[in-house]
Amino acid sequence: MRVVIADDAVLLREGLIRLLAETGHEVVAAVGDGPSLVSAVVEHKPDVSIVDVRMPPSHTDEGLRAAVEARSKLPGTPVLVLSQYVEVSYADDLLADGRGGIGYLLKDRVSEVGDFLDGLARVAAGGTVLDPEVVAQLFARRRRGDPLRTLTAREREVLGLMAEGRSNTAIAKHLVVTEGAVEKHVRNIFTKLDLPPDDEQHRRVLAVLAYLKG
Amino acid sequence: MPSVENMTRPAPLPLSAPAVVRPRWLVRLLADTAYVIAAFPLGIAGFIVLFAGFAVGIGNAATLLGIPVLSATMYVARMFARGERAMAARIVRVPTATVRYKEPAADAAWWRRIITPLGDGQSWLDLGHGLLAFFTSLVSFILVIAWWAGGIAGTLYPLWAWAIPQDPNDQQFHQLLGLPDTRLADIAVQTSMGLVLLITLPPVVRAAAVLRALPARGMLFSTAALRDRITNLEEQTVQARAQTAAAVSAEATALRRLERDIHDGPQQRLVRLAMDLGRAQHQLDTDPEAARLTVTEALAQTRETLAELRALSRGIAPPILADRGLVAAVSALAGRSTVPVEVDYPGLATTGAGTEPARLDPAVENAAYFVIAEALTNVAKHSHATECAVSLERTGAYLVIEIRDNGVGGAHVAKGQGLAGLADRVRAAGGVLTIDSPDGGPTRLLAELPCV
Repeated sequence: MRVVIADDAVLLREGLIRLLAETGHEVVAAVGDGPSLVSAVVEHKPDVSIVDVRMPPSHTDEGLRAAVEARSKLPGTPVLVLSQYVEVSYADDLLADGRGGIGYLLKDRVSEVGDFLDGLARVAAGGTVLDPEVVAQLFARRRRGDPLRTLTAREREVLGLMAEGRSNTAIAKHLVVTEGAVEKHVRNIFTKLDLPPDDEQHRRVLAVLAYLKG
Repeated sequence: MPSVENMTRPAPLPLSAPAVVRPRWLVRLLADTAYVIAAFPLGIAGFIVLFAGFAVGIGNAATLLGIPVLSATMYVARMFARGERAMAARIVRVPTATVRYKEPAADAAWWRRIITPLGDGQSWLDLGHGLLAFFTSLVSFILVIAWWAGGIAGTLYPLWAWAIPQDPNDQQFHQLLGLPDTRLADIAVQTSMGLVLLITLPPVVRAAAVLRALPARGMLFSTAALRDRITNLEEQTVQARAQTAAAVSAEATALRRLERDIHDGPQQRLVRLAMDLGRAQHQLDTDPEAARLTVTEALAQTRETLAELRALSRGIAPPILADRGLVAAVSALAGRSTVPVEVDYPGLATTGAGTEPARLDPAVENAAYFVIAEALTNVAKHSHATECAVSLERTGAYLVIEIRDNGVGGAHVAKGQGLAGLADRVRAAGGVLTIDSPDGGPTRLLAELPCV
């Protein structure tokens, strides 16, 4: 995959470049601030961009805003946002355009090299990958009278794993159940949340997420 | 009894004293006498005018016609009070507060102008004083005149006794005391009485003057003093609030910087460390040699993280400050500075064997330490200085910190060079920060922190 990296910390940028190079990816551009990210994405049209939230000049959510801007200039360009902290409101900003190809992970997750590369690939393919912490916060902020409250504990677990971008097979493996059982849970979730069934895995996840952030 | 009659004759006014150096008691005596004598006609005039005005005003208040009379009386009382204040201030110690009356607004209606003094507490006190002062001025006037006249006339009795016609049937004072009826006895008794009066003259006149002035002190100044005290307290409250705000602001700034330091430092390094170890784990399967290299790098990374954490924790609460005190901590700071720093601390020697000087309050030490630390950071970052000097000195109730450098100057609180945070810190500690930094340098920071 052709990747653009945006992180102002040279230390982390170098680490990511090495990691990606060693696993057979090509880093086409590595930049250190928001505006450079936007122009790099427009110029290189990468398969995926890895973006740090906090970058100069504002040192606040520069990376996030740059990612949103890049996606408005090049609609649907996949972006994986990395941050030291995860905040639901940041996730909301990213998911606001309703397209796939969004990831939002804690920086720590990079150390799980396999999972990280897996997530990166899913984002590049148009899926949505959210950090388990974001999912937990999304669940925590549910209001009263929310249909999500009608989900069983197992169904919530499945929904959370879906939000993290896992396939039914991966969920089945994670929960040590059969794929058929997972499919049943997924159908139940859609029924309870009044979502029409759909064939495509990532579109369903997207639908669930659209519901989660509303 | 002609001699007794003579005693009440007024003494000459003692105002025209020669221009030589006079003892203090004499100055006091003359001033007190002048005050009592001058205040007497004022007291009588005040009493007559005010009593009449007050009586007419109150008597006709029911018909409303008395209200303007009463109001006018208040204004007259105010005039008398003003004169009294000016005089009394020379006799008794009065509060330095300025007296304020309730004034009608500039565009107030005529009836409001009339009503206003009636609602003013100080005006009523003025009126009350005008009525009361008559009695005190009468008593003090009699005392002063009697003592002066008796003292002078009695002492000089031998000089004029011959001029008094003597009738053998007269009962003289010395005869009443049972002394023989001789001229000598007469003169001796009269003169000694005069001397006693003369000797007791200063304390008696003082007492009379104080008696005269005390109602003024109590009634004409008291509310003003109270009001001033309230104003003072209000000012202190405002100051305390500003101090709290500065403390909160300094705290917030410090916390933000701490978060930033953690984010940019150790956190970043640990993420990279995790990343590298993740890579190493991955490489173990494919390329063990590369894995070894990655682990070696990770180890170096760990050491750097530890060093960074150490520096950071020192920045939060330097252990040496708690253990060894301000001077040692500042010396350590100076030692780590990239710009050479000279530290001078007259009278604030380091703790050690022998005479251990009293440690400053921990809050003051802490404030002083961080003021110096931040100032030195600024010097290193912005001044381009090649040398810097820090001096610490205890002056009275203040710890005075001076930081000088030979840099380019132009430092200003508004420039966002951390000086605003520094100013906040100083203010939070109740101190004052002075910055003298002309363009082209040198820069001199002066922080004065209260130590009590």
